[in-house]
Amino acid sequence: MYATKQPTLRIKQADLKCKNGCGFFGNAEWEGYCSKCYRDYMQKQRERNTSQEKAEHSKARIPGFSKFEEKKRQQIDKKNKYLKNFTPVFRKSSSAKDSGKSERHHELRHSNPEMEKLTAEYITKYGVWGEHVRKDFLKCVNSVYTKILIDIDNKPIEDIAELIQKYYNMFSDRLNRNSVYEEVISDVRDQMLDFFEKFVMIGLYSVLFCPHTTNDEEKDLAIQDRIRKLSWVTAHHLGCCISETSMEVRDLVYTAITDLLGIDSVKAPQEKLACVVRCCRSIMEVLQHCQGAPVSADEFLPALIFIVLKGNPARLKSNIHYVTRFCNDSRLMQGEGGYYFTNLCCAVSFIENLTAESLSMTEEEFKAYMTGVITPVSAWESALVACESMHQLCEHLSLLKNLSERTDAVQKGTGELKENINKFKNEITKKVSSVLAKTPLIIKPRKTLIDFDLHESTNDNLPPPIIPIIKARPLEEIEDGNHNLATTNLFPFENTGNADLQSQNEQQQPAFTNFYEQNLQLQSIGLTSDKQKSTLQLNITPCVPDLQTTELSFDNQSLNLDEQQSGFLELSNVNYDIDFSDLSADNSVAEELTPEKHKSPSFTPDPFSPIGSSCNIAQTPLLPSSAPLLPTTNTAPESTSNPNQTNDFFLPAAEADRVETILDQTEEMCTANLPTPLKPTTSQYSGFSKQGWQIPSIPCNTGDYSSLNMSQSQAWVPNSNVNVTNPNKNNQNNDEFEKQE
Amino acid sequence: MARDYDHLFKLLIIGDSGVGKSSLLLRFADNTFSGSYITTIGVDFKIRTVSIDGQRIKLQIWDTAGQERFRTITSTYYRGTHGVIVVYDVTNGESFANVKRWLHEIEQNCDVVNRILVGNKNDCPDRKVVLTEDAKRFADTMGIQLFETSAKDNINVEEMFVSVTRLVLRAKLEMKERQNVTQNDVVNLRKSNKQGKRKCC
Repeated sequence: MYATKQPTLRIKQADLKCKNGCGFFGNAEWEGYCSKCYRDYMQKQRERNTSQEKAEHSKARIPGFSKFEEKKRQQIDKKNKYLKNFTPVFRKSSSAKDSGKSERHHELRHSNPEMEKLTAEYITKYGVWGEHVRKDFLKCVNSVYTKILIDIDNKPIEDIAELIQKYYNMFSDRLNRNSVYEEVISDVRDQMLDFFEKFVMIGLYSVLFCPHTTNDEEKDLAIQDRIRKLSWVTAHHLGCCISETSMEVRDLVYTAITDLLGIDSVKAPQEKLACVVRCCRSIMEVLQHCQGAPVSADEFLPALIFIVLKGNPARLKSNIHYVTRFCNDSRLMQGEGGYYFTNLCCAVSFIENLTAESLSMTEEEFKAYMTGVITPVSAWESALVACESMHQLCEHLSLLKNLSERTDAVQKGTGELKENINKFKNEITKKVSSVLAKTPLIIKPRKTLIDFDLHESTNDNLPPPIIPIIKARPLEEIEDGNHNLATTNLFPFENTGNADLQSQNEQQQPAFTNFYEQNLQLQSIGLTSDKQKSTLQLNITPCVPDLQTTELSFDNQSLNLDEQQSGFLELSNVNYDIDFSDLSADNSVAEELTPEKHKSPSFTPDPFSPIGSSCNIAQTPLLPSSAPLLPTTNTAPESTSNPNQTNDFFLPAAEADRVETILDQTEEMCTANLPTPLKPTTSQYSGFSKQGWQIPSIPCNTGDYSSLNMSQSQAWVPNSNVNVTNPNKNNQNNDEFEKQE
Repeated sequence: MARDYDHLFKLLIIGDSGVGKSSLLLRFADNTFSGSYITTIGVDFKIRTVSIDGQRIKLQIWDTAGQERFRTITSTYYRGTHGVIVVYDVTNGESFANVKRWLHEIEQNCDVVNRILVGNKNDCPDRKVVLTEDAKRFADTMGIQLFETSAKDNINVEEMFVSVTRLVLRAKLEMKERQNVTQNDVVNLRKSNKQGKRKCC
């Protein structure tokens, strides 16, 4: 479709070959002929100068060919124009100025088919208003004709334009004041004024359009050439948002271009204005379609410039001048037509003064474009220059470009997403590793505990601390109540183990044995609550290697004793597993003990002596448990370190156990019994008291024998005494226990 | 000829691109535009008839492209213009700085024209950059009336246009009185103006 239109829009290189088909290249200046053919052509042309227009218009009347005929007329008009341009020269040479004038006059008045047509139009439109109106109207028109035809060669075109405007005004006055037009209603008067303008201008078109006294012709060629050179300018360069790929937009753009081209095919100024308005409305539609919002001048003007550039209307400058000169002034300065025409003038002047800066590109780039170094291919260009398929190709290319851009964007997005994921991964791993670095604290606590044990153990080899165990055991045993027998069995083992390990332990062992005996007695009585606590403490503190766990398992199996107790006993080395079991079994006691142990280290430093004593006591029972089962293994690693560690652990526990109970009950006894300046004893008592508070309640609940419970409370006091006092007094304590029992 | 108006004025809206010229026009014209005979012709050209002091005044307002690249060619718009509305954006200091250039442009293209300064987008105090005092001082030195409007919130738009119309109307009446000329002569005057333009071309 557009391909067929194309010839009207562009003059191709092939067109420049001589029209006569002689093979030589033609020239636009020679009407497309070569120099030789043009000379012949001109001669012929001169001969049938007058007859040609007739023929043209008779052709024009054939219906059904409107478009084709319009183009044809356009071309013939162009030829006429050229002729006119040259006629003065020839006329002068032939010195036939007067004859030429009369000739033209004759032509206008009698032989112009346009005039006949106009007259016919007048009759159909305004015939109803009477013969006198028609006569007056035609009289006015003829007066204009005669006046203008006389002045056309003598006066500059500006004066003629002023004259025409004056006639418009005169006729307007006449319409309003003359009695002839009294009957005509006001609306029709306005229309008649318009028709008068049309009548006059169509009649004088051949004279007034692109008059030979002006250089309009050159300007036309200049602007045409300019636009052709600027064919590379795209909508993007102008900053307007016309999407090339949309089919509807494309159609609208071509409609706009066709409307704009129509400006050269009509003769009356208002008709030309109407063409401009139609074109601009199409542009408005295009813009509305493209941006979906009300269109403002900011968008409209660039679009109009774009359309003018792509349309490259014929004789643009001549048309603009013609309209500005001879269109009724009031119409030009107001109304839609005036506005759009003004915009068109702006667009043309923009194109004339177009620079690199106005396209917001560099001077080099602009020059490169202008000289053809860079030749961008746009869908518009191909549509106007090449065939439809080429046009589609270009459109598809632009679509592909668009798509590739989008895929690029998507790829970029996925890349970013990947990066983000990796980043996130790294962050998470970092965090996890950092957290892991921190979390080893779980392991550290064991180590720290061990450290505490070491320090304390090294520091304190005090024998007296052994005593507290006795208290602890009874407590534990009380809790364990049911498992008394098991504990009794275990304790002897422990004792033996301790004896092997250290001299101190050995020294203490007898005492412990005594204690165990006591414990046994206590257990039988049901005073085992303390013991559990002590064992628990022991369990937690040592943090013994895996070997211990294995030992534990062995112990459990071999002994077939209650897991808890066996755990306690063995845990002196192994501790860990048993602790949990203990906790699960005896929630109250275990929980209380564990926190106390943690706290104990902080408390311990001050009351070293009591702690040491307590630790020692704790060790002794613990070691034996492990010793009997795996004597060699246990003893070897623990021989030096474990006992000490256990001691340390016991310290806090012991303290915690005794802190309050002892204070409450037997502070005096403790102090009195202590041979060494064990000031911390008080603290021991307090710790003890703490547990003591809780412990009694537990044994009461768990205790099997109600009578035993009673004995517990009684036994507590002697136990505490024994703990505080030296191991030497253990025997006495035992005796006391026995007595109590 | 019976007309539906007593006066027909052509107003021009100029100012930087994006200051809201079109929105001002849309706001002003759309309030009563529905009854007008021109229905769909985009934003850039609007007609509205207002009544001032019992006179029906048909306002025909032309929007212009404000882009820098079109500044040199917009002179064509000024032909036959009765009043010019110079718009700047109160949230954009640069647009206010360019007001001087626009006023200069008016002086170059029109001999006598009624001007008015409008600070548009005056609806967000937080984003306001051009202080009212500064604009007022500038307007006073230039002898122009200042309006701060908001096309978005419909603040001061009607008042501004009415004020311009009054200015134009007063100027026209004064001129008529002074010269005591007929309508014909007025047309002639315009014509001579136009001729001057033509010579430029």
